[in-house]
Amino acid sequence: MAIESRDIVKNFGNIRALTGLSFQVRRGEIYGLIGPNGAGKTTALRIMATLIKPTSGSAEVFSFDVEKQASEVRKIISYLPEEAGAYRNLSGHEYLEFMARFYAGSKATAQKMVEEAAEISGLGERLKDKVKTYSKGMNRRLLIARALMVKPKLAILDEPTGGLDVVHAFHVRRIIQDYVEKHGVTVLLSSHNMLEVEFLCNRVALINEGKIVDEGSPQKLKSSYNAKNLEEAFMEATSLE
Amino acid sequence: MSSGLGNLMMKEIKEMLRDPKILVGIVLMPLLMFPIMGSAIGISQTAVEESIKESLKSASIAVLDLDGELAAKSLIGFLAESNMTLLEIDASNEEEALKRLQETNATVLLVIPPDFSYNMTNGLKGDLKIYTVFKSMSVTEAGKASAAGAPVTLYESALVFHMIQQAFPGRDPKTVLDPVGLSYYIVFKGKFIKAPPEALLSGIIMSQSLGFPMVIMLMLITAMQIAATAIAIEKEEKTLETLLTLPVGRLSILAGKLAGSVTVAGAGAIAALVGVNYYTGSIFSGLASAGTPPIDLEALGLVPSPLAYLLLGVTLFVTIVSALALAICIAIFSENVRSAQTLVSYLILPIVIPSIFLMLADINILPRAVQIALYAIPYTHSIIAAKAAFTGDYLTMLTSIAYISLFTVAILYIAAKIFTTERVVTARISLKRLRLKRE
Repeated sequence: MAIESRDIVKNFGNIRALTGLSFQVRRGEIYGLIGPNGAGKTTALRIMATLIKPTSGSAEVFSFDVEKQASEVRKIISYLPEEAGAYRNLSGHEYLEFMARFYAGSKATAQKMVEEAAEISGLGERLKDKVKTYSKGMNRRLLIARALMVKPKLAILDEPTGGLDVVHAFHVRRIIQDYVEKHGVTVLLSSHNMLEVEFLCNRVALINEGKIVDEGSPQKLKSSYNAKNLEEAFMEATSLE
Repeated sequence: MSSGLGNLMMKEIKEMLRDPKILVGIVLMPLLMFPIMGSAIGISQTAVEESIKESLKSASIAVLDLDGELAAKSLIGFLAESNMTLLEIDASNEEEALKRLQETNATVLLVIPPDFSYNMTNGLKGDLKIYTVFKSMSVTEAGKASAAGAPVTLYESALVFHMIQQAFPGRDPKTVLDPVGLSYYIVFKGKFIKAPPEALLSGIIMSQSLGFPMVIMLMLITAMQIAATAIAIEKEEKTLETLLTLPVGRLSILAGKLAGSVTVAGAGAIAALVGVNYYTGSIFSGLASAGTPPIDLEALGLVPSPLAYLLLGVTLFVTIVSALALAICIAIFSENVRSAQTLVSYLILPIVIPSIFLMLADINILPRAVQIALYAIPYTHSIIAAKAAFTGDYLTMLTSIAYISLFTVAILYIAAKIFTTERVVTARISLKRLRLKRE
């Protein structure tokens, strides 16, 4: 298993963000968490990315405990936060170089990673420009390329196309899909966009109020709830209608 | 895999120096601001001196002679021989003369009262009056007024010399007037130089009392703002979240931030030092031209030795590291750059207060309660150590370094704790919420 999450509870003071989250992600699949704002998607991704610790329960990434073996987990994952930026005063190329150096053992390997990222992002000559001159879409493409160039075992992507226009969102989805197919990377992502999830994910978890209410392939979820799309399935599953 | 510290540090420096706000505000501004301030003072001083000289050349004094006798005529004759243009006013009293004065371009009215000659010839004091019309409140105007009194003083000296020569023929009037010669020497730690004590005061004021506290204050405020802004930008842009999931130790991330900020703050401090040096130099030359000669501090051993410079460097280093760590600890709790700068601005107070106290007074002469409060603030010790560097008081310097280092270690420990827990991601202080709670 790529991820094994067991009954995770996460409290922030009096607020309970996760109320017993359990799910499994298989190696090489794209697994999506979908749910409304405040459902606990980002908290779940942050725990898998070793940014925060569960209040109770446990999680393993490629058999490494996210709490006790956080530094091992960090070597095999790549995390992309929602609405993240890059360093505004560095060029796209410098930013990629900076990130690659943490993973590469040599200059040559780092250079290869940067070349790969340049290809993934499709930003071409614009990589020489400072990040502050990029549009939101270009910025996101740069960050997706950064997350994938290191060929992580697990890529954790929080709303990978959040706030992007149709063209950029399409491009980013293609990048993720192509990369997974080519390198067998496992992806855990969250999204509000049900269509995107349906298009990208092998399996999906419907998350509401801090726990998973149902799980399965998009096709299975739609047929279970006799729904035309995942949106309808989600509403049925959570009885929000 | 790279340990990442060098990589992180280089990124920090690149990112900060390319930020126009940091480059202009931290490095270029002090480099330009202080020399501009110094030059402005220098230019205005020269302008004032030139203006006084010019006005003296063309100055005219209005004279109201209500006496009309021999001594009054002798005085008027003496004044007429000086550079000034004399303008005799025909009036029966001072009020009328002042009204007439408005019609002329003279700004000074010398009034010779009716009994001036009688008093002068009968061994009594001959009183004179000088009215000065101020057209504006400037140094130039005040200069004109005092310049107008100068010829009268010269007349008085000439008169006194004449009287002495008549009373003591063959004697030097200067010796009669000032029979005891007095030379001032300053002795400091066994070394002495010939100079009046006030000259030492001005030397110390410029070099230690004002210069060092000001530079330390500037350096700390600068460094704290840099570090807080760097962390806040990382939080705002969520680049910190990405950094924290990279295969690099959290302490390396903290050390990279500190090292980057120290380097940039160091550049800022050097810029400030160069600027302040030029600025104080300008004021110093101003003092020298005003008649207070600069003193040779080196001859008194009041210039730091190489060891003192080394200890001073250590003091500044531990001070700046503690300030940076403190700023990082605080900025972690901010939501964005603005709130980080607001939170850090609260820390500026404990830096400014000791600087102000110690600019004006030695800590030992302050009330006991103030002394205790100041000693508790670590940044007081940075200034005390800087002052001790000039007197070669190594024990005080080492004590100060020990105190600041202890504080620095404590702050670094807290910063490291915050960085190794999830607080670095989740901690937030909402200023808005705090204000609402208070209301």
